[in-house]
Amino acid sequence: MRRQVPLVLCFLFGMAMIVTQFSPHSLSQEIYKEVVSWVLIISPFALILATLTLIQTHATRIRRRTEHWRYSLVVFAGILMMVVVGIPLGPQNSVFEWLYNNVQVPMDATMFSLLAFFIASAAYRAFRARAFEATLLLVSAMIVMVGNVPIGDYVWNTVLSWIPWEDGASKSRQWILDIPNLAARRGIILGVSLGVISQSIRIILGIERSYLGGGD
Amino acid sequence: MLEKFMNMDRRIIFILIAVVVIIPTLIPVSLPTTVSEPTQKLYNYIDALPPESTIIMAFDYGPSSLAEPEPMAKAVLQHCFNKDVRVIGLTLYHNTPTLAHNLMRKIAAENDATYGEDYVFLGYRPGFVQVILGMGTNIASVFETDYDGTAITEIPMMKNVTNYDQIDLLLDLAAGSTTGFWIVYANTRYNLKIAAGVTGVIIAQMYPYLQTGQLVGLMPGYLGATEYEKLLNAPGAGTVGLNTASFIHLLIIGLVVLGNIAFFIHRRREE
Repeated sequence: MRRQVPLVLCFLFGMAMIVTQFSPHSLSQEIYKEVVSWVLIISPFALILATLTLIQTHATRIRRRTEHWRYSLVVFAGILMMVVVGIPLGPQNSVFEWLYNNVQVPMDATMFSLLAFFIASAAYRAFRARAFEATLLLVSAMIVMVGNVPIGDYVWNTVLSWIPWEDGASKSRQWILDIPNLAARRGIILGVSLGVISQSIRIILGIERSYLGGGD
Repeated sequence: MLEKFMNMDRRIIFILIAVVVIIPTLIPVSLPTTVSEPTQKLYNYIDALPPESTIIMAFDYGPSSLAEPEPMAKAVLQHCFNKDVRVIGLTLYHNTPTLAHNLMRKIAAENDATYGEDYVFLGYRPGFVQVILGMGTNIASVFETDYDGTAITEIPMMKNVTNYDQIDLLLDLAAGSTTGFWIVYANTRYNLKIAAGVTGVIIAQMYPYLQTGQLVGLMPGYLGATEYEKLLNAPGAGTVGLNTASFIHLLIIGLVVLGNIAFFIHRRREE
């Protein structure tokens, strides 16, 4: 019974949403609007679940004194600080805004900025023309990189001014994005979409049941 | 010697990157930019909107990636306020409301735009698909109040806005997969016109949508922000950022080329 009920609900709602997608009938559209409102109500519960999972995971790490467990204390300190300030005073309170602007924003931006250093180091070490495919990737990447910044066209139009083709760097980049990139991306999108459709049918019909847990 | 060069200490690369970022940021260099077609299309679309049209601007990026979408947001907001186009701001990211709200207030103050008449910020609601679909039926069913807690039925510019039928464009400033959701659920189902301003790493993913017309325009990363600033004749953070990026790109290309030269010499010697 514990498994049949979710399977029946999944089948009924899956079929209902398919029908509402293709039927312009007023009843069908009313059902659609109703289901969308339900989903809007349900989705905040995902946030509660995520918070509880985070607390549970870090509490377990502290209790078991696993490696780097002290960082979990920092997680709790961060959560507690934002909750204590944010919930009673609201997100527009000056203390909350100060914490956000002077702690979260710089920390997030710093973490992401570090990528530039690691990407440069990794590119230097790994981007080698070892085979034909690697060379193709390397050359395309170089063209897109140089065409993506104005210095590319500047160098092209000054150093390579004898070539009767202005703004060659950005035009080459645009060609790569417009033709080979677009063709490959479209193929990927179509493939993924077909996969999603077939997987959705399997879930609606109850053939795929892994979302229920238990490895069935 | 060659092997030493091929396995260069990464701290040397880190120092080079730091120098190449710091110097052009402190001493800005002005490099000529040509406007690409996707950015021009977006500019033309917004420029052709009649006064009192309404667009939605979705700030779908977090503090970690604000360097690229924020200059785009500034440029488009400036354009809209100058053209008397109304802007509804919102975000699908939980950690962005403060960022987006402050940005809208700042640009509005610089352009004498009034809250509630020229722009409004609705804030954040959880869920991507749910929010997008919900707004298609009734915006007030998803955002009953704005970010300040005022009922949206009491906001003057929202009086005649019920759902996407009254919206002329949605501009998604994205650092992730949200543009795809807006296209699939808001464009396909509700025929809402969509444009995007995306970070450098996801530009390539947007081209199929641009070619089919599902995107009316696209600002690709720093380049897009710079191009839009050029069209407005108002160089800003995008132009500074792109010029800095120019030198980083050159450094990385130089390092990769040198690394490959060393690799080929080393391989030939081994043979």
